[in-house]
Parts: sequence; structure tokens; C-alpha cells
Amino acid sequence: MFRSLRKPETQSVSININGQMVQVAEGSSLWAAMALHGETQTRLALVSGQQRSAYCAMGVCFECLVEVNGVPNQQACLTTVEEGMHVCSQDLTEQSIAALHQKESADHE
Amino acid sequence: MSDIFDIVIIGAGPAGMSAALEAAQQGASVAVLDRKATPGGQIYRDVTQSPLLDPSVLGSEYTEGAELVEAFMEADIDRHQNADVWHIGETGEVLYSQDNQTRRLVARELIISPGAMERPFPIEGWHLPGVMTAGSAQVMLKSDGMVKDGAIFAGTGPLLYLIVAQYLRLGVTVNAVVDTTPAGGVVRAMQYIGGALRKPAYLIKGLMLLNEIHRAGVPIFRHASNLSVLGESKSVGLQFEQDGRTHSVNADHIFLHQGVIPNLNMTRALGIEHHWAEQQLCWTPTLDDWGQSSIPHIAVVGDAAGIQGAEAARHAGRLAALKAMNKLGKLSEASLQQQSSDHLRAMKSFKAFRSFLDAYYAPTPEHRIPAASNTLACRCEEQTMGQLRAGFEQGAKDPNALKALTRCGMGPCQGRQCGHTVSELLAVWQNKPVSDIGYYRLRSPQRLLSVDELSQFQNIKPAKKPAEVSA
Repeated sequence: MFRSLRKPETQSVSININGQMVQVAEGSSLWAAMALHGETQTRLALVSGQQRSAYCAMGVCFECLVEVNGVPNQQACLTTVEEGMHVCSQDLTEQSIAALHQKESADHE
Repeated sequence: MSDIFDIVIIGAGPAGMSAALEAAQQGASVAVLDRKATPGGQIYRDVTQSPLLDPSVLGSEYTEGAELVEAFMEADIDRHQNADVWHIGETGEVLYSQDNQTRRLVARELIISPGAMERPFPIEGWHLPGVMTAGSAQVMLKSDGMVKDGAIFAGTGPLLYLIVAQYLRLGVTVNAVVDTTPAGGVVRAMQYIGGALRKPAYLIKGLMLLNEIHRAGVPIFRHASNLSVLGESKSVGLQFEQDGRTHSVNADHIFLHQGVIPNLNMTRALGIEHHWAEQQLCWTPTLDDWGQSSIPHIAVVGDAAGIQGAEAARHAGRLAALKAMNKLGKLSEASLQQQSSDHLRAMKSFKAFRSFLDAYYAPTPEHRIPAASNTLACRCEEQTMGQLRAGFEQGAKDPNALKALTRCGMGPCQGRQCGHTVSELLAVWQNKPVSDIGYYRLRSPQRLLSVDELSQFQNIKPAKKPAEVSA
């Protein structure tokens, strides 16, 4: 588990990570907030559907894509937490996207 | 307020901040666009607002950045943080995302400093959860005071030893250091010893770091080779060879590192001329001593211009700003030469020192150019070396053809994690120099944009050429 050495006087905000409300330090990166609560899974690999997690933590690998307030593909390492933020590990894969498209066009007809 | 500036600078690391300070001092109108919430780049990340009680444990190379950040914050500069540039037009137009909206600036002169990224480390299992980079350990420590006990640090290069020493000073346990610097490193580097001796303070600091790690009793495996990450769905350990024997060390977390390379998506998308730098084993923009690129109004500075480190970046930033002032007609040729001379001299000595480091810590081919067919080369589209080889055998001889055939480099990272591997693989397979192989053709947008954001785009008109616009 990751742990924090942050100064104790830091203010906190509450955010929702995968359905659970947690207190995190104000100004934290979303990736750090997730990792400190044991939520290290970010996205699924697009083809194989395998679990992925952050790799570079500085915005160049795009492994830490998560859903923030309903919008997918947000880089957790470059996002700063905000009070009331809703975060989910994202489960988009090529298969799930194709199924979504199929359903949409079926609904359309 | 006008959105037209004499000089627009992209990136607020040591190079960008120094360029901005010089340009502002010289009387230019200056705007700086930086992707992060606070200036400092990766090296001086959050240096004026560290989450740690005592940031001095991170070392003086870090804490001395505070002065530069403070000067930058006080100067007459238009600063834009959280501003992620995604397109640069031929006319100096810069489009960037901020608060989920696209905004625009126009530059007469552009100085870009998108910095460096860690060299990809394409070994078996490098995509598994629990494997991160040593740079990420530093990022997490500097910005969030977040650490991981019991990890393995593996690879080569000064940054690897620095983060291990920082961890130990903070009482964070380190399971092992697996050092892939080959035994011949010293011999190779000796021809550049003259350059190394020009920076004795750095040499001494480097030796002290190694000594610090030794004294702490962390197991160090020297001259390790053939690294692979163990685990099916997540990392459980690292396997490697040493002295002809296979070792494995258990750990649920591994930090990899084998040096840094220019983050070249912006310079590539601009169509700036690049070359393969044999000494640093990476693609590098082709520039003159002032950072001037092959595009008349664009300079590239800092580690994006070739890895020279933070101190050299400060000089490079100043040089590019002076040259931009000269091109804008605000600084005479004689003043340019006179004010540049100290910076040019400093750059020369940093380059000599870097030659020594590059030779000593040259990443070995086996960790750059995967030999096992099931090793992932492209993480986003999950293309293994074997799949790329099959594409090559079907006739894809250059990176763009291979991309079209296999989808390597088409994922969200836009080739950042596989571009160098693909260039080198294709070079090896054809027994050609990498310089003949080339790199992916990159295009804007250089970040992921939502359809929502793009839909506002109808309100944005192409910029006029700066020459047609009066101040």
C-alpha cells in the first residue's frame, strides 16, 4: 500500500472513489488520492481487458485514464481533486465500446 | 487585453521560466502556457509548496529551484497554468485546453520547452499493475508526499540512485536496487573524463548518493541483465541475471528507470527537423546554439532539445529569449553576441559533462529493443514485439507503415511509449542506422479532447500571420 508523508495541517476535501466517500488532502492529484485508498486500478487494457494502473504519474503514458464526474478518459495523475468529485476506474474496452455502439444503433432503429 | 504576444513560451520548467524572465527583463510581452497547476516543471515540481515537513531531504538541486519559481511568479509575465497546448499553427497560433475549454494565443516568436520523459523500458511484464517508473516515484513524493515501502528500483542512471537515497532519508524501506549499468560503463565513460572533471561537485554528489545507499544496507545487484517482471495480472517480483545466474526478488511494486529522452510529440507534430542522437540514443530536434529550430519563429529549449539537465536548461532558456528579442528587432546583433557569451560557454561545459554521463549510463540494447516475441512494445494497443515483427514481414518497413498495419502508436499515448522502440526494432531488423528509419508522423491534437470541447471550436478562426498584425 502507498502511504502519505504529507504535513498534518493539510486541509481535506471529500470525493467519491468507486462508490465510496473518502477524505483526501486538498490539492492532491487524483491518482494519489486513489492510490492512498488502495484503489490502484485505473483503466482496463483496450484489447485484452486486463487491469492496468498508473505507470509514469506525469501525463505521458495514459495508463491512469479514469472516469471523472461521468466523463471517461481523464488522466488521474494530471487531475487535481475537488470537493464532491465522483471518480470511477473505467471499464471501457474495444469489446464494450463495440457493444455500446451496437446497442445505440439498435435503439435508433 | 490583446491575445498577441511578442514571445509565447510553452512549459514552465527551468528552461521555460528562464526564457520568460529574460524576455520580460528585455521588455517583451510574454505569455507562458504550462500544463501543470503550478510552475516548476518536473524537476522543481511543487518546490514552493512542498507537502513534506522538510523538503530539504529531496536535496539542494530541488530546493534551489524555489528561487527561480518565485522570481517567475513576481515578473511581468502572463502566466497560464493548467493550460494544455494541443495545437500550434504555422502562423504562431497556439490552441490550448484550460477548464475544459479551448483558448487561443498568437505568438510572434515561440519558445517551446515540453521537457523530458523517461525512456520506455519494454521488458516482459512492464505493463502490469505495480510497475511504475522511478520518475513517477519522484513525482508522487514531490507533489503528494506519497511513497511505497518495499519496492524494487531497477535500471540505470543518476535519477534511480537519487530517488532511492531520498526514500532512505525519509525512512521508506527499499527491497533491492537492481543496477543494469554494464561492467564496461566505466571504461566507456573514461574517454569523457575531462568533461566529468569540469563539474566536480556533481561527481562528488553522485558518489555520495551511492555511498548513502550502500551504508543503508539495501541489497544492490550490480551489472544485472535480462530483466523481466514476474506476475500474471500484477507484479509479484523481478527476475534478472547476474554473473550468469538467474535471480528473482519478490516485490509487489517495481520502479524502472533507464534515463530520460526528449518528450517530442510537440516538436514532431510541428514538423521540426529531428535527428537520431547516437550518444543519447534518442530522437532530438535539430537546433543551433540558441535553440533555433528549422521553423523560423520557433525555438526549442530544455531537455526537449536534448537531455542536458536543469542547470543547462536555465542557460538555454535565456539564450532562446535573447535570440527571439534579436529576431523581433528589439536587441542588436552586437548585444545578442555580448549577452549570449557566458550562457554559450556554460552550455558547452554542461554538454561535456553530459557526454560522460551518457557513456556511463547508456541503456543496454536488451532493455531498449525487446528480443522476446511476447513482450509488449505498444502498451496502448497491446502490440507485442512478435506482432510488430509479423507486420514487418508483411512489408511494413517504416514506423508509419507499421502503425497502419498493426495499430502500434495509435492509442492515447500517441506513440510516446513505443515510438523509440519501434524505430530501433525496424533499424535492427533491416540492419540500418536508426536515422534512416525515422519516426511516426504526428499530428494535432496533442491531447485527448472531448467532443464537447471540440464543438465550441466553430468560434475559433485561423490567426492572421504575425507579420500582418500590428502590435
